[in-house]
Amino acid sequence: MANSFSAPAPVARRVRAYFAPVNRVTQAPVLFDPSQLGSFNLDAPPSPWIDMGWIENFTRKSASKSGPIFTGIPASPLEQTRESLEAQVSFEFLSWTKLTMALATGSQHMNLLAPASSAPAAADGAKATPAVTIQSGSTASVIQLAATDAVNFAPGSMIAVDADYAGQTGFVGSPVSGTYLRQEVTDVDYIRRVTFNVGLVLGVSSASLILAQPLPGGAPAAGTKLQAITGFVDREGGSFYHEWSALFVMQGSQGDRIFFHYPRLQSLAGAEESATPLDSKHKSGLTRILLKGCFLALPVTDPLDGERVLCYRSFKPAAYALI
Amino acid sequence: MQNAKDSFYLALRTRLATINPERTVLLRGALRPGILVEEAEAPTAQPPADVFVLRWLGLGVDMDLSSTMTAEECEILYSTCGTQAFGGLDRGRMLSAMDEEVVAMLQPFYTPKFNYSVQPAVAMQTQLFWDEPTFAPINVQRDRLSRSVKVMLYSYQEQGE
Repeated sequence: MANSFSAPAPVARRVRAYFAPVNRVTQAPVLFDPSQLGSFNLDAPPSPWIDMGWIENFTRKSASKSGPIFTGIPASPLEQTRESLEAQVSFEFLSWTKLTMALATGSQHMNLLAPASSAPAAADGAKATPAVTIQSGSTASVIQLAATDAVNFAPGSMIAVDADYAGQTGFVGSPVSGTYLRQEVTDVDYIRRVTFNVGLVLGVSSASLILAQPLPGGAPAAGTKLQAITGFVDREGGSFYHEWSALFVMQGSQGDRIFFHYPRLQSLAGAEESATPLDSKHKSGLTRILLKGCFLALPVTDPLDGERVLCYRSFKPAAYALI
Repeated sequence: MQNAKDSFYLALRTRLATINPERTVLLRGALRPGILVEEAEAPTAQPPADVFVLRWLGLGVDMDLSSTMTAEECEILYSTCGTQAFGGLDRGRMLSAMDEEVVAMLQPFYTPKFNYSVQPAVAMQTQLFWDEPTFAPINVQRDRLSRSVKVMLYSYQEQGE
């Protein structure tokens, strides 16, 4: 018969973050089921969760309030009621990417499309070089182009792939809603400005681009187009709030795991950075600039019993640990 | 505590055999991966070059937990004079290679605990784990470059230990 052991409190080195887009049109968050997925490989999260890497200074704060109901003379608490439900999460990303920057931004996040020649200056990117049409046979990792278009790209190019803007309003972008348009805009490249379907070109052949990682949106749909991008931009202001489902994992030293699952998180604060000294020798001078994310948890209704909840905390004990 | 020390050494030895199978040491007639435990070998005036040597230092015990936790400090020493083929002029590169190997050996920062005092070794219930390595500056003695790395190894005492 095997032995057991009495496990002390988990010892964890760091926290890993995973995000998945909430379908804003159907208001459907992505749910994490720890009973089925509790042992997933941290380097290969189950779809549609996107690995955001290790994070720092992860802090959970419950601002939910309870109040007593007093009865009697003198009054004494009879029972409690939950008066409000509120929770916040904050942390710092250890890398700057399209996704981490967008998540740590309080408003919509945009791609800087490669500018057209002699285009007038614009703070969120000038009028763009015309998009090129993606040919059939493309996959999420290999984009087929006409030979005359492929020659305009080189290894190291960054690209955005999405449809032309055709006058739609409401949530724009799929599978991630990049913004909400209350009225029509005139820029035909608008969806490619806000799309999360971006990639890095590692190889160029006569008529195709080979990407470093698959496009988040998968194989390009018919009619989608491609444009080069030069970077990213976001703004302090605006009325759009991103909404994501989030999962945070603390891996314990004994193989135990703590999960914090927030079905709905929205950015709580505007874009903010945190400067951290590179090491103890660099109290000033060299600093690492971290993206600071601060989020407000929104409730979902748990179909199990109809209760409204903001977060699920689950624990997977170590093997043979006494429970 | 000995199980944790043995498990740490065997984990690093197994990892080294994968990371750099060329790094070996001939010890008591047996060719083994180039890592040894100082206290388990005959005393020498100077540790062998191009080999990792584990030296056990401090010890701490936390008995307030539901399972007693021990913290054992391990120093990993290594040195090189470079290769004869290059007249020792590659000793800096050889030390850098050992730096990279020790970083790779220490990841992941945990390994299962085994009882190696019995044959075959018996898997125990817990894992040992350690902190990030702290590298000491290079020590130069004539044509010999040396460095040491310290890690703190943590483990829980199990029944029968």
